[in-house]
Amino acid sequence: MSTWQDLVTAGLIGTERTAVPPAAIPALPTLADAPEDPAAVLLDRAALLTVARRAGRPPEQAEPLPAAEPDPEPAVSPAAGRRLARMLAGEHPDLLTEWLTAAVTRGLRVPAQLLPTLLDRARRVSPADPELRRLAARAGGSRARWLAGLNPDWRFVTAHTVAGNEAWRLGEAGQRRGYLAALRATDPGAARELIAASWDAAGPERVMFLSVLTDNLSLADEPLLEAALDDRAEDVRGWAAYLLASLPGSALGQRMADCARRCLRLERHTQGPRLLVSPPAQPDAAMRRDGITRGPAPGRSQLENRAHILLEVVARTPLSTWTGDFQMTPTQIVAVPSGGWAPVLFAAWSRAAMAQPDSGWMAALIAEALTGRPPGTTAETAALRQLARRADPALGAPGALPDPEPGAPPALYDAIRVLRFRHDMLKELDHDHSAG
Amino acid sequence: MAERWDRARVLARAPDAPSQRAAQALASDRAWSLTGAAEPGALWGECRGSAATPYRTVVDLSGPAYRCSCPSRKFPCKHVLALLLLWTGGSVAAPAEPPDWAASWLTARAARASDTQPREPGEPKNPELAARRAEQREARVATGLAELDRWLCDQMRQGLAASQKSGYGHWDDIAARMVDAQAPGLAERLRSLASVPHSGAGWESRLLEEYALLRLLAVAYRRQAELPPPLRETIRSRIGFSLRQADVLADGQPVRDHWQVLARRDVDQDRIRIRRTWLRGRLTGRYVLVLSFAAAGQSLDDSLTVGTEADADLVFYPGAVPLRALVLTKHDAVDGAPPAGDTIAGLLTGYAAALAEDPWLDAWPAVLDATPARSPVPALADAAGDALPLHPGAGDCWPLFALSGGRPLTVAGEWTPRGLWPLTAWDEGGTVVAL
Repeated sequence: MSTWQDLVTAGLIGTERTAVPPAAIPALPTLADAPEDPAAVLLDRAALLTVARRAGRPPEQAEPLPAAEPDPEPAVSPAAGRRLARMLAGEHPDLLTEWLTAAVTRGLRVPAQLLPTLLDRARRVSPADPELRRLAARAGGSRARWLAGLNPDWRFVTAHTVAGNEAWRLGEAGQRRGYLAALRATDPGAARELIAASWDAAGPERVMFLSVLTDNLSLADEPLLEAALDDRAEDVRGWAAYLLASLPGSALGQRMADCARRCLRLERHTQGPRLLVSPPAQPDAAMRRDGITRGPAPGRSQLENRAHILLEVVARTPLSTWTGDFQMTPTQIVAVPSGGWAPVLFAAWSRAAMAQPDSGWMAALIAEALTGRPPGTTAETAALRQLARRADPALGAPGALPDPEPGAPPALYDAIRVLRFRHDMLKELDHDHSAG
Repeated sequence: MAERWDRARVLARAPDAPSQRAAQALASDRAWSLTGAAEPGALWGECRGSAATPYRTVVDLSGPAYRCSCPSRKFPCKHVLALLLLWTGGSVAAPAEPPDWAASWLTARAARASDTQPREPGEPKNPELAARRAEQREARVATGLAELDRWLCDQMRQGLAASQKSGYGHWDDIAARMVDAQAPGLAERLRSLASVPHSGAGWESRLLEEYALLRLLAVAYRRQAELPPPLRETIRSRIGFSLRQADVLADGQPVRDHWQVLARRDVDQDRIRIRRTWLRGRLTGRYVLVLSFAAAGQSLDDSLTVGTEADADLVFYPGAVPLRALVLTKHDAVDGAPPAGDTIAGLLTGYAAALAEDPWLDAWPAVLDATPARSPVPALADAAGDALPLHPGAGDCWPLFALSGGRPLTVAGEWTPRGLWPLTAWDEGGTVVAL
């Protein structure tokens, strides 16, 4: 409307320097200007045109978007969606991966309106840890792919689906890992052979190779991992030792068990059993090869060194060693007194229980923390924190765990809260599943 | 026992997001050494905190009103919220006798409630004095508006180009003069103008519109005797004369309908949070704006839940386009079906008709059946091919796009001269989503 623009221009310049243009509205009689002050005349004409323009505003045109493909998978229930919204808003964000994994395995979709926040979260995580991105893309289904077509920030949703060994030969790190992980899921042997064939030429990628092996780990992977124990890079050796320790029946597990038996003995007294603990102060060459280093701080005391070695050895020892040797249940074993070593053993068994993974031991450790000796050291608190996130969520069902003693440390309440949250969260997702 | 709230309703009472998180962390029966509930709607509990003695928390659900012995300045504090969450989750013990410390507060409250009920809040004690005060105020407002008119004309003589170089003080000074003149509505409007010169292309056009409408208000006040009473009320309320709720209720005729709660928007204004809730009557088709206010850190009224339908008696404030109303009696609330959506042509016609009555109206309720589009600007387009831009202040609106997937949905929001502010959407299954 040129009349309006003329008024705006006059308004910008000021009536001291320019004349007030006329304001005409078709089909309306011309306004009788009452005041003689040109500034007031300008404002009155502008008021008339403002209201006329607002009332007579014509609709505009817009280019329609392509419609998203319909998604055959149903969305999660409203209750599960509300919980996801709370998690995206900051409540237990570390359980997001578990929520998404559970939704994906049940063939359920993230409510569409939450996808933008979820995709933004996944985008911000490091590309070196593509798990959240992969899960977000899977749980987002066709709607997430549609959104990725509109917002370049979310391109990773479709980038993952670059298929075939194109991605392996030419892709960037994330796509190569994606290809390898997909292959590992469908044909673990083929993935292992591809890794073995690429091993010598791969430098920093070796850690990525090993991280892919976590999925579908079997004894067939042992030779590759044993060789990796002699790698020059420390993080490669660390990954290899971690994987071998979590592999049932591995030679490393056996070596650790032999070593652990020398550190830890069960004595039965009339008052009850006791654990005698006597770890060495220095790792020998064989232990160092299996990833047990002296630790980072050279100024540590003898006692700290021994505690460190005990922790590392027991954490890598198959848990069946103890139930077999002592002929006791995990619940009985974790309750056996061991004096000042008890916090170290709690942390070590927790690590073993999570790596191997053994839900019976995890439950026994959590119950011991609740009803027996409460966690005291930082390492124990950290172990309990992780146990609550990895243990069977059924422990969070009402009445599944005993109440902690009055005055128990906050870490225990935290652990119970996390277990309950996980239990409720999975129940909501299961409820959907049975409902169809 | 009172009807049990759901989690969302409890969390909505939280003054901010950190309080929500803190309350959820505290909502474990292990943090509470004692909890209980009594008829008709009282809750209490003792919660371990950093102090030597546990904090004592009491809730009267009928208010709701709260009290907690903790030193937190937030209201309600995390202990109150956590106690409500426990109750929501069914973890508060069955009806019991409250302990002395809770009972004394609850009885005192009940006594106060029956005490204050008959008295009109703010009933003038001395009618003569009140009349003299009202007269003084009219005189002050008239002087203030004359000053505003001179100020506006000064702006136009110098030209708007100068105001882009002015700081916020330029508008704050004249706003402060309007506060002195007891015209708070004008003061608020003037303060909000400080951001216009930096609001992007077209700022000079928007500033001229605002100045022009302000002068229109000043002129209209001067000539109010010639205007029909409803329009006079509109002018006075925009200047900042507020009516006492008791007068609104006494003068207005209650309108009963099934009011669909369409949308809600919270805005911060000068240390006060304002909740704007839009309703539409299923039978009368009338649009309603319910306002509620809260000081910073306090929670807003959440008795009207978006997506539900309330059978209620409303009383409207007088005005040329009576939108604002008070809830007199709420009979019942049920989950509502998605509202019937209008076309864009219908929305624009309705807005034009409303503008003819109230030229200052700059937020009009919109319920559209439309499809979101992104080009040339984020917009909503209807089946007829008409489109309206989204308000630039509403952000990227990604949740709206995600929900639609390029297909039509029902959207409720506010239509403003700068664009449509989407607030609520209903997905294909009819589920309500707050945007």
